[in-house]
Amino acid sequence: MCGIAGVVYKDKKLHPVGSDMTKMLDALQHRGPDSAGFSIYGGLGLENNEYLLNIEIKEKPGLLEAVKELVKVVSPIKSEEIIPSVENYIIYRCKISLKSFSQLKPLIRDIDRIEGVIVLNGSHSFEMIKDVGYVLDIAKRYDTWSKMGTHAIGHTRFSTESIVDRYHAHPFQSYIIPDITVVHNGQITNYWNIRDPLERKGHIFETNNDTECIVHYVADKLSMGYSLEETLEQSVKDMDGPYSYVVGTPNGVGIAKDQLGLRPGVMAENDDVFAIASEEVSLREVMDTTYVEQISPGEVRVYEYNENKKL
Amino acid sequence: MREIEIDAESKTPREINRDLKTLAEEYDRIIIKNPNAKHYLSAGLTTPVEVIIDGSAGYFAGTMIHQASIKIKGNAGWFAGDNMTQGELIIEGSTGDGVGQGIYGGNVVVKRDAGSRTGEIMKNGTIIIGGNSGFMSGIFMMGGRIIVLGDIAEDAGESIIRGAIYVLGEIKSLGKNAKVVEINEEDKKDLKELLPAYGFDLEDSKYSKFKKIVPRSKRPFYGQDSEEG
Repeated sequence: MCGIAGVVYKDKKLHPVGSDMTKMLDALQHRGPDSAGFSIYGGLGLENNEYLLNIEIKEKPGLLEAVKELVKVVSPIKSEEIIPSVENYIIYRCKISLKSFSQLKPLIRDIDRIEGVIVLNGSHSFEMIKDVGYVLDIAKRYDTWSKMGTHAIGHTRFSTESIVDRYHAHPFQSYIIPDITVVHNGQITNYWNIRDPLERKGHIFETNNDTECIVHYVADKLSMGYSLEETLEQSVKDMDGPYSYVVGTPNGVGIAKDQLGLRPGVMAENDDVFAIASEEVSLREVMDTTYVEQISPGEVRVYEYNENKKL
Repeated sequence: MREIEIDAESKTPREINRDLKTLAEEYDRIIIKNPNAKHYLSAGLTTPVEVIIDGSAGYFAGTMIHQASIKIKGNAGWFAGDNMTQGELIIEGSTGDGVGQGIYGGNVVVKRDAGSRTGEIMKNGTIIIGGNSGFMSGIFMMGGRIIVLGDIAEDAGESIIRGAIYVLGEIKSLGKNAKVVEINEEDKKDLKELLPAYGFDLEDSKYSKFKKIVPRSKRPFYGQDSEEG
């Protein structure tokens, strides 16, 4: 089933979006108990060349040191943090600096080659938090309640085909361009028709998960100069199956829904906030409104700080 | 009039519905405060009691009710009134997809817009949508009537077998096995009796502007020989 949500503060100032998204996702907990995740944009405050790496490491002697050594080949470690997780894993987070964004994905792939280690994500303008289990447990583990930002997307997962682990928790990220993430409810039934052309262009897939396919599709279109709205509109024509998905970018959020309207999506907004979710119960955590719009089959909705900005 | 309130704030849907069923034996009107768009509110209520949901309800509000009269002061999620057999469900706001899905009887009234597949596989009863109704409204409808005072979206009456859809606004397109016919005097009389009872006060001239969507064939898929006798 899965629950998806997004919230944007229109003034682009820092607000407690971590707390907002935690409440929105907790309200959608019944839609998926397997894992949950957040992309919280605008609150990291990194310098232009800085990135935050978010790495899952098995608790085994020497592994953390091996990761640090590898990172130090391309960047100094400017700050670091270790977050205990479940099932004998820790989450190692470190701030690094790179000469260019193009160094990020190769570094991630190098780190991923260490057995027992996988990079959950690397970002510049947003913080990704995702883990297995319930929303409130994850919120406590990572203190999502205190996270500030301008906008956020989030997910509660009811897994279908893919395995349940931290990496397959949503959001998924693409590195075709910086900081594009997707959360998704549903299935893309023409998955290989979407994936094949992207792979032929050289884009690298790490999983067989259809949400990863969506995020690469979106990032690819944005990299070609499509606006977010144009991208989502084209995706609804290109992708088959029952789905609704939410995209987060440094510039805003958007939602797309399949042409038969087989997965839910509602939205509401006022002068201050734009919010989208699977169900009204989630919207009501951030907005006191009686006017809730149903996203129609095949419809897309976008809120961006700079409308039609090409990323 | 014996009236009581339930505060739903810290209760689960199961607890709320258990309270409802118990209190319905003693009271005439039950008001659910702080519903906060919770799912399954008033599911399976089979007592002739009035329930007022003082806010929005989530999925399957009023599913399988029989005789109860439920008013939702906010919106409802997907499948409001699903499979109800008798009674009334009035939604002051809008609804998600599948409102009135599979109803056998009773009246479902939505004051604003409805999502897709309104009245899917409904067998009987009446659904009134005060605003627009979404994609494939009346899909596989097998009886009863849907009345839409706004527009009806694409593929209206998709694979409709029996029943009728009355539309005052625009019909974006018709689904398979659906056709539009003129409404007759008996239809107008029924609509004039029904709509004002739910607060829809139309000018008299509007009643002539309704279009009626009905099936082209009662057996569009399995040949003309009916097995129903």
